[in-house]
Amino acid sequence: MTTTTTTVTETVSLDKPLPKGRSLWQLSWMRLKKDPYAIACSVIILFYVVVALLSRLDLVGYPWDAKVGESYGRPDTSSFATFLGMDIFGRSVMYKTIYGLRIAMSIGLVTACIAVPLGASMGAIAGYYGGWIDEVFVWFYTTLSSIPDLLLLIAISYALGKGMTAMYVALISTSWIGIARVIRGEFIKHKEREYVVAADALGASDFSKIFKHILPNVSHFLILNFSMQFMSAIKAEVILTFLGVGIQGLPSWGNMIDDAKLELARGVWWQLTGATVAMFVIVLALNILGDSLRDALDPKIK
Amino acid sequence: MELLYLMINPKHTRLVRSAFALSLGVSLLAFVGCTKKSDLDPTNTFYTSSIAKIKGLDPAFADDMYSGYEVTRIYEGLLQYKYLKRPYELEPCLAEAMPTISKDGKTYTFKLKKGVVFQDDKAFKATNGKGREVTAEDFVYSFKRLADPKLNSPMWWLFDGKIEGLNEWHDASAKAGKSDYAANISGLKAVDASTLQIKLKSRSYQFVYALAMPATTVVAKEVVEEYGAEFLNHPVGTGAFKLAEYNPSAKIVYVKSPSFRKEFYPSEGDAEDQAKGLLADAGKQLPLVDKVVMTVHVESQPQWLNFMQGNLDLAPIPKDNFAQAIDPKTKGLTEEMKKKNIQLFIEPSLDITHTSFNMTDPVVGKNKYLRQAISTAINTQEEIDLFYNGRAVSAQGPIPPGLAGYDPATKNPYKEYNLEKAKELLKKAGYPDGKGLAPLEYLSLADTTARQMTEYFQKAMTAIGIQVKVQTFSWPEFQQSLKNKKGQMWSFAWGADYPDAENFLQLFYSKNSSPGPNDANYDNPEFDKLYEKSLTMNDSPARTELYKKMAAIVIEDTPWAFGVHRLTYGLTHPWLKNYKPHEFNHGMAKYYRIDTNLRK
Repeated sequence: MTTTTTTVTETVSLDKPLPKGRSLWQLSWMRLKKDPYAIACSVIILFYVVVALLSRLDLVGYPWDAKVGESYGRPDTSSFATFLGMDIFGRSVMYKTIYGLRIAMSIGLVTACIAVPLGASMGAIAGYYGGWIDEVFVWFYTTLSSIPDLLLLIAISYALGKGMTAMYVALISTSWIGIARVIRGEFIKHKEREYVVAADALGASDFSKIFKHILPNVSHFLILNFSMQFMSAIKAEVILTFLGVGIQGLPSWGNMIDDAKLELARGVWWQLTGATVAMFVIVLALNILGDSLRDALDPKIK
Repeated sequence: MELLYLMINPKHTRLVRSAFALSLGVSLLAFVGCTKKSDLDPTNTFYTSSIAKIKGLDPAFADDMYSGYEVTRIYEGLLQYKYLKRPYELEPCLAEAMPTISKDGKTYTFKLKKGVVFQDDKAFKATNGKGREVTAEDFVYSFKRLADPKLNSPMWWLFDGKIEGLNEWHDASAKAGKSDYAANISGLKAVDASTLQIKLKSRSYQFVYALAMPATTVVAKEVVEEYGAEFLNHPVGTGAFKLAEYNPSAKIVYVKSPSFRKEFYPSEGDAEDQAKGLLADAGKQLPLVDKVVMTVHVESQPQWLNFMQGNLDLAPIPKDNFAQAIDPKTKGLTEEMKKKNIQLFIEPSLDITHTSFNMTDPVVGKNKYLRQAISTAINTQEEIDLFYNGRAVSAQGPIPPGLAGYDPATKNPYKEYNLEKAKELLKKAGYPDGKGLAPLEYLSLADTTARQMTEYFQKAMTAIGIQVKVQTFSWPEFQQSLKNKKGQMWSFAWGADYPDAENFLQLFYSKNSSPGPNDANYDNPEFDKLYEKSLTMNDSPARTELYKKMAAIVIEDTPWAFGVHRLTYGLTHPWLKNYKPHEFNHGMAKYYRIDTNLRK
């Protein structure tokens, strides 16, 4: 009698890959990649970022305050500086537009970078803890948002003295509310979900539940809001500066449009054109990208 | 009287009227208005405008040109300027005749016109709301208001140190809880109901001019007491017009006052006035228009467009529309203007623009070389081309051309645009290339042209290494800041209150510091001494010499970086008759006539 021993070894074939799971982010990226508008807008935004950085390093559009031609000289394609004509002091409108772009981008970036995390953490804490914390918080933001934004912005600019800092403070203090509201709602919804309950059962702390478990699951809202905040900050800066409570002594698009309201009478259209086209393009690009992001990040739309 | 970057701004609004007609509520109001005042012709209206918001209609606070214009539509004083006469000359207004002056030149006695009454107001309880007659007591009361420290009138400088006993009353009131208006003042007496006696501390040749200014017009005690702080918004005067609609930041409407005394259009005028038809209405009862509508247009563009639409009867020419109005070759009106029969008036104005340095500031106030450096770094000629279309001359000193004391030979050494010299001065000041100098705080106004001028200034300063931090305000806020001696520098302008260089030199007299008109808070005992001496002197070559000496001191000390003297270019529509530009245009709307047929 022979005894045979057979070793039963199940060999799992490695050369046949399992269907790979894809994360929300990967799916979104796939969807976004297929959207030609989104790609075009991203390129435009990237272009603006690059120009702003180059301007920050004084590599393009520098020096904006030098005289490059006569007062109100007409656009002239002979050089980059005179391409969009000259302003009242003979300065290059092209350079001013670029400097305005730099200001707009930094206002947009700083506001969005601070307002979104601020709003998100406020909303997260309120939504997660509920109770009196939530009540205080809701009272605070409803009060703040009952004041018309523009008036609040003007009041802050007056109190802090006008300039970039006042603009940052003013825009951040009004723009966190929207995102905080959304995130609060999401947290109220998510904190009862199984994965959070499971994390709780494993002994996760509040901090880890808020920031490690729930927040990543609602983070697509942050990205979406980031692009929207960026755009509305740019618009607000231009409007405030136009009204004389914004940027002082530097070429902002708002200042250029304000100049233009007098200059148009003498047929000088180039400052208006420079500032409005530059603003139109970036605001449109951020708007379209915002929409595309919404479509791409929403798992319900496929 | 302070003014600003541009000059007179008249305007009206047919647009506003038609918009009103559409609104049921307002058209009902208009209907009520019509039945009540059936003698008023709504088309017989003078439409004018202001580029600054009006602070209110209290004479004691009428320290800027814009409030001055509005206050004097309602209020009147003892004297006024002759409308047509040049050079400027005073004539009695509420006074019956020019004052009799005592031998020593110190005592002025005024007889008042009989039968002049205040406009009706509910504050006149004794007469059931009917306006009572003006008495000498009313003038005593009105003048005391200027001296009242509780009121803190910015026009106190007019009387400060000039009238016997008034300073003592001012000081006593400052200590007391309440100012005692019943107290007797030796230099300010109502001898009887129609005789006013003013005793001066020393002989003064400018004093009579003060009595033709908006601040010295007469108010009624009952009205002031009835409305208290709200008096600013409840003007009740003796003038040709009374208030009908009031929104100081948008629109003020006046209607002909039914109780206005018998005053007639002047019948004396020179051949030129005759030729221009300015005497056509000689002897007619004033006012000639039934209504005055004043709208506030803070920006020059809407004002200009409204003028071009015919919605305003007169307007200045904004810098950006200059090419549209004036032909650069002929220096006259363009074809477009001629077609509309628009008239052009060019008047050299008795004024000066300047950048004030706050002399109480530890940095700019105490460093002469720094101020001189700043002044030297400004390219005035370029400024004149950019902002005034060449309609101005560079100011070398504090006195404008046209007044005794102005010396065409004076060349201000810190007015020649020279960057090398400016840098040299800055080095002398202790800040080589601006090193060690904190950014200077510059106060400015929020409108577009002011912002551009400020930007220009900033740019000029950067060229020598000085950084400028800008703070922008509205006109009333701006004035408030100056009163509180805030800020290091600001741009400003001064228009003559009366045709005497003293009016410009008093801007440097230490006792006139803020809230008075010496906004730079300049304080120099040597200057003060000369100034005080000049006050006691009659118009004479010796006084003119003194004026020149004072000007030289100010030029060297540079409490101001001098700007320009402007030429005023004004346009009127053909239907505005009897218009003659006047440097002291107070209450003069009563002389204007509207040809209502031409307006259509």
